[in-house]
Amino acid sequence: MTDVAQELARAGQVRVELPREPAGVLAPDGTLYPGARVDEPPDLLLEMYRWMVFGRAFDTRLFNLQRQGRLTVYAPIAGQEACQVGCGLALRKEDWLLGSYRDGLAATVFGRPAELMVWYFTGHPKTGASPQGVNVPPLQVSIGEQISHAVGVAWGMKLRGDKSAALAIFGDGATSEGAFHEACNFAGVMHAPAVLFCQNNGWAISVPRAHQTASETIAQKALAYGITGILLDGNDVLAVYREVRAALERARSGAGPTLIEALTYRFGPHTTSDDPTRYRPAGELETWQQEREPIRRLRAYLERQNLWDERRQATLEEECRERIASAVTAAMAEPPPAPEEMFEHIFAEPTPLMREQRSELLAHLKTLEEKEGGHA
Amino acid sequence: MPVEFRLPDLGEGIAEAEMLRWLVKPGDRVVLDQAIAEVQTDKAVVELPAPVAGTILSLNATEGQVMPVGTLLVTIDDGRQEAPASAAAVQEERSAQAAMGSTALQAEPASANGGRWTAVSVAPQRRALATPAVRRLARELGLDIASIRGSGPAGRVLAEDLRAAAAPPVEEAPPPVEVAAPAGSAAPRPAPSVPLALPGEEEGPAEERLPLRGLRRRIAENMVLSVTTIPQITSLVEVEASALVALRQSLLSAAEARGLKLSYLPFVIKALVQALRAYPYINATIDDSSKEIVLKRHYHIGIATATPDGLLVPVLHHADRLTILQIAAELNRLAEAGRERKLALDELRGSTFTITNFGSAGGYFATPIINPGEAAILGLGRIAKRPWVVEDRVEPRPILPISFTADHRLIDGELALRFLNTLIASLENPNLIMLDMR
Amino acid sequence: MPSRTIVEAVNDALGVALSEDDRVLVLGEDVGRNGGVFRATDGLFERFGAERVVDTPLSEAGIIGTSVGLAMYGLRPVAEIQFLGFSLEAFSQLLAQAARVRWRSAGRYTCPLVVRAPFGVGVRAPELHSDALEAHFVHTPGIKVVAPSNPYDTKGLLLAAIDDPDPVLVVEPLRGYRTVRGEVPEGRYTVPLGQAGVLREGRDVTIISWSQSVHVSMAAAEALAGEGIEAEVIDLRTLSPFDADTIVSSVQKTGRAVVVHEAPKTGGLGAEIVATINERALLSLEAPVARVTAFDTHLPTALLEDHYIPTPARVATAVRATVHF
Repeated sequence: MTDVAQELARAGQVRVELPREPAGVLAPDGTLYPGARVDEPPDLLLEMYRWMVFGRAFDTRLFNLQRQGRLTVYAPIAGQEACQVGCGLALRKEDWLLGSYRDGLAATVFGRPAELMVWYFTGHPKTGASPQGVNVPPLQVSIGEQISHAVGVAWGMKLRGDKSAALAIFGDGATSEGAFHEACNFAGVMHAPAVLFCQNNGWAISVPRAHQTASETIAQKALAYGITGILLDGNDVLAVYREVRAALERARSGAGPTLIEALTYRFGPHTTSDDPTRYRPAGELETWQQEREPIRRLRAYLERQNLWDERRQATLEEECRERIASAVTAAMAEPPPAPEEMFEHIFAEPTPLMREQRSELLAHLKTLEEKEGGHA
Repeated sequence: MPVEFRLPDLGEGIAEAEMLRWLVKPGDRVVLDQAIAEVQTDKAVVELPAPVAGTILSLNATEGQVMPVGTLLVTIDDGRQEAPASAAAVQEERSAQAAMGSTALQAEPASANGGRWTAVSVAPQRRALATPAVRRLARELGLDIASIRGSGPAGRVLAEDLRAAAAPPVEEAPPPVEVAAPAGSAAPRPAPSVPLALPGEEEGPAEERLPLRGLRRRIAENMVLSVTTIPQITSLVEVEASALVALRQSLLSAAEARGLKLSYLPFVIKALVQALRAYPYINATIDDSSKEIVLKRHYHIGIATATPDGLLVPVLHHADRLTILQIAAELNRLAEAGRERKLALDELRGSTFTITNFGSAGGYFATPIINPGEAAILGLGRIAKRPWVVEDRVEPRPILPISFTADHRLIDGELALRFLNTLIASLENPNLIMLDMR
Repeated sequence: MPSRTIVEAVNDALGVALSEDDRVLVLGEDVGRNGGVFRATDGLFERFGAERVVDTPLSEAGIIGTSVGLAMYGLRPVAEIQFLGFSLEAFSQLLAQAARVRWRSAGRYTCPLVVRAPFGVGVRAPELHSDALEAHFVHTPGIKVVAPSNPYDTKGLLLAAIDDPDPVLVVEPLRGYRTVRGEVPEGRYTVPLGQAGVLREGRDVTIISWSQSVHVSMAAAEALAGEGIEAEVIDLRTLSPFDADTIVSSVQKTGRAVVVHEAPKTGGLGAEIVATINERALLSLEAPVARVTAFDTHLPTALLEDHYIPTPARVATAVRATVHF
């Protein structure tokens, strides 16, 4: 240490800690990294794989539904299944998950019915109502704001002595929003049992990660807030699962919050309204799809362990098709909301003005109906 | 059965797309979500996936065609029977159609009419100025507020303007009106014929109800206001009018030469105004709200006029400043305006004293009711020959009966009679009017 | 019955809430050890401890954002924003988040959050410390706004706000914090949200006001009484949802109305009140409804601030013009 550093150390606390080395279990080719072990039982590994395959197939179907005019828009998750599934399976039932519009798969893995994901993109208000017992507040559209909420929920858990944790999922773009910084800061100060999971897929619509922050990594920002920072290979579902689970454990046990940065890649466009060929360098997508694909790497591992084969793949794909078909059918079969439902759930009780306006709307619709002989 | 696939909104409000190329042709079998076409939007080249599995029946758009959202692209035979499939699938179909439908609605191009609205120039129009409360009052009184001249700021119509205004609700034209009848020539108003119900005829309802509105209502309100706020005494006196009759007679042709009909009223008004000057408490009122006696310095004589619609009181403003002929002319003008319902609001307002000339209809004495806002009213009966005592003999003389009602708060009986004596003196010897003539 | 200032009434209410409901916690900048920069939370840290009276980092958005999480989780956070003008930093968490939790989740989650903030001209504060921003919140569905003018209402409305299952913004009168005194009952009582109070009866004109402007209006009413004009003064108390019925009944009686508020004129809550009177009492109006407000400028520096806001003289002038219209 230089004299200045010594002096500063005397005046306050000046410590420098590098983030831990990035974590990984499965290399892209499906072999294990040197020194890595797989302790998870085969059933869990198969569950991870099944969810990822389901996730990819569901994603494709939803994308096509948008192209068929049945969803207004869709934000695809293809390529990021390991993050979603790893997070979803790491959570315990009493934990809370707070994610964004792209995190429907994690919510589904965590127990939220798949219909809610469809409704998110058809615009049905039921999308916001997770069933009782599934602690998933509505997926956030306003970038990053859910991170503060997650810290608040975690802080509340701590105050109540509730041995649970809250997990926030957000993207690399969100780390530029004030909410990210406010949340990290509060999490550190309040020692909140929160896990802040940054799903860094390299792009915030058309802005690459390098333009989002001058930091080398997002994980190292944890240093600034005095919380633990972890960097990992987000396409390695085992690494994601382990690190998120460990972070949730630390949180529950009172050891404080963790910021996790998971490196992954967005195979598809930002949403169905986006054209990534306008801004992504040629070849980048193909590289990720061919060399760092998350599903294929686990499959390779499973096959090497004789836990998987072509026949089981075909069966799984058929199961997924059926599950997806029934989820989509059920979602589309839900009657559309009645116009007067606009006035519900603004407050516990509607105000007099809201009641008045609701009556006006209903009267107006009735008049239209009468004029057109029953056609609204 | 054939399933139609129409061009959907491919993302956030796209209105149209260009068909680039078909990836299938009629007769091809396709699976669900299989790419069947490429279209070009302003954002990107987009592949369209088949919405159902089945056989391509027909391609309904051509390569290169620019299609608005909702355009039929392709028809696919999904292999199902006409009979309805499972409820859910039908519902899915229906929802799909509904989704198509709603996107079709959005497909209306923003510029269906060419996209430009041209501004038009708007001719300025102005309504009557009035507050909402006054407008409501106008409606209640049955008045067309646009026809009322406003006395408020910038010509605003005030509530008092409404109350003073005419609002004849009846459509039929009134019979001709005479403001003052010359003595002897007044024809009694024909008695209205009343159909009598003869025995044996059918009985109608016991009563008929009509809404009390407009002028009648205003009159009713005024009358009630007057008798409930002003204690009124009426003095009845007779004027020996032979000199007045002779005077008028002598001036008739001169007036006619000036195009004027001359009645007794101008002379009475002249004498009256002189008497009012001498007795200011008669040309006055009591202001109840401020508890003040208001002595009025101007002389605006209201002439109560019977019209078929009801009682109007056009006002002869500044009667003290007018000559006899000017008074006659103004009386004629007001009468005609009254007949033709052209009296302006300020011609109906502002009287300080009122004359009611019921003599034109043939009355003798009456107990006239004071116009609210004034202290007295002079009622004139018909000038007619009556027995009169002249130096112990009884002779027929033209007698003008006067009924004078006064506000007894302000005017004691003695004052009323002194005023009347002054008036009588001028009427019995009209030359006296000359002495104080301006 | 004890006499309290407005800020003492706040303290009283918070003490009652903290002691009766262990879900309640108070958080904000300097609210703990320091007892709040206006002493609104004085003594609470000592009575209830650091976990229930929390000194937060300096971040309005962070305070409100985490409070949304606390509230969704099931606690009852009472967050202090040191000055209402600073709520601008937290607008997204207030208007896009707190106000929408119940609606966005179709009732599955709720946000029983109370945010307290003082505002108002008169303490010679620097920029953004006095701004009246209530119109932005009144314009947003899903959040209620309450504005007490006196100590009794301050305590009662704050306790009612804490009871309310939905987000409530309580804007407190800064100038009145220490200068307005009144009797405040001990213990728990509430003043219902959504109800205005008629402070003074009158026949000739209705004055509608809230917060600090109520005192200005009452002073004007007293002066006008000497001229024979009897004004009815309504203290709105809740700005959203506001008590239109009381306003309308009064205007139907008097036929004339003047709205008095500190916020700038255009787009202020006064405009909404005028529109409501227009819709429901037009036929009773003898004159246009007048507004006496701050000007459509930024709140000026201390040396000019007294000219910016309604004064009794300005209110009296407007009332006379209305009466003599």
